[in-house]
Amino acid sequence: MKFLVNPSKFNKIADYVFKPLLILSIILFALGLLFSFYLSPDDYQQGSTVRIMYVHVPSAWLALLTYAIMTLYSIAGLAFRIPFGFIINTAVAPIGAVFTLICIISGSLWGKPMWGTWWVWDARLTSVAILFIIYLIIIFMNLSFENRIVREKVVAIFVLVGSINLPIVKFSVDWWNTLHQPATISKLSKPSIDPSMMIPLIIMTFAFIMVGLAIAILRIKIEIISRKSNLI
Amino acid sequence: MKFFNKILFFYYREYKLNISGFQDILTNIIFFFVSIFIFIFSVGPNKETISVIGVAIVWTLLLLSSTLSLKKFYQDDFENGNLLIIHLNGFSYGFIAILKTFSHFLFVQIPFLLSIPIACILLNIESDKLMYLLVSFGIGSLTLSCLGSISSSMNLMNQRNFLLGSVIVMIFSVPIIIFSVGIINMEENFNSLINILFGILLIVFAINPWASGLCLKLSLENN
Repeated sequence: MKFLVNPSKFNKIADYVFKPLLILSIILFALGLLFSFYLSPDDYQQGSTVRIMYVHVPSAWLALLTYAIMTLYSIAGLAFRIPFGFIINTAVAPIGAVFTLICIISGSLWGKPMWGTWWVWDARLTSVAILFIIYLIIIFMNLSFENRIVREKVVAIFVLVGSINLPIVKFSVDWWNTLHQPATISKLSKPSIDPSMMIPLIIMTFAFIMVGLAIAILRIKIEIISRKSNLI
Repeated sequence: MKFFNKILFFYYREYKLNISGFQDILTNIIFFFVSIFIFIFSVGPNKETISVIGVAIVWTLLLLSSTLSLKKFYQDDFENGNLLIIHLNGFSYGFIAILKTFSHFLFVQIPFLLSIPIACILLNIESDKLMYLLVSFGIGSLTLSCLGSISSSMNLMNQRNFLLGSVIVMIFSVPIIIFSVGIINMEENFNSLINILFGILLIVFAINPWASGLCLKLSLENN
């Protein structure tokens, strides 16, 4: 597991993994889109708009997952002095921002026919919007410091401070009365979703994870190269 | 005893500095009042509308105007080397952050606390709501000072984009705004909401010396 903390080992593994990852992501995306458009049933209340879920839910999960990964690597970078943590922080933040943006846009496209409005100020939506702004602040911080050592550590501290928002996003639907529905899959009891909708959702989630990983590998490699050549 | 003398001297120095630069604090307060005027002009001078949204206006503008003075939080002491001298006198970075937070609370936020009653007269807020407003701002302003300490210590080495500091304070002050405006509009569950506000204050107060101390150390080492 050393490739998770060591840049040169990561490079080696990434070279092996990258092309299979791309092929797998294309296959999974084709399969997932096929399932979610043609092979899954309409919802008995929502009709065909339920298919937005197959983009909305995976992107929301990945937005949270990306931030959780950044938090773990910030702890690794600050506490155990592993510089690879800072590399991950810089490389992965825009990916998380894009996933959050996809989640917000698809959610508001879903909200218009179902709730009757593009945006509501309820706890889940607001906390996800704050998550998006936190991602943007991390990106801007990465752009605006001149000293690299200060930049990466300050960004790591900010990621840790901002991780307060993660449990708020996750549990906002349980703590407050929200228009957004509570969790149906990622909860302790049995998922309350029909298998015919569960299967495309899981396929799409893995497709999103593969695409995210492929982009992340590219960005991390660029970051490692630019650090080696002292470009930043 | 020596340690307490040092703390007293620290606050004496802060007092002198803030008295000599008192026009800055006054400018903040004038900004607060001018923005209240502009809010009233844009909403219209209808008394009922203003008394409904008055509390929200006061809180928003207090937040905005207290983020204005963030640039001065550490920057002056950092640039003329006083921060390093204070550290060499036996204060750890985290402790400097706590001292500075209280100094910011005393010399920047307390004048706002004193100017809230006048704002309440202007905005037609009833006097029984004024008490809640003062209590909520008393707790919230200390929280804002802690957040200001974190964000301004993060941006010490940031030469290009200082507005980022204000954005950081504003994004983390969303829960404070929600619960403190909630206190004023829902008198019956005053206790539970004030407990939540205290909880937020304790969380931020616990994070503050750790985060700002580390940022101060980083900036001083790499300057």
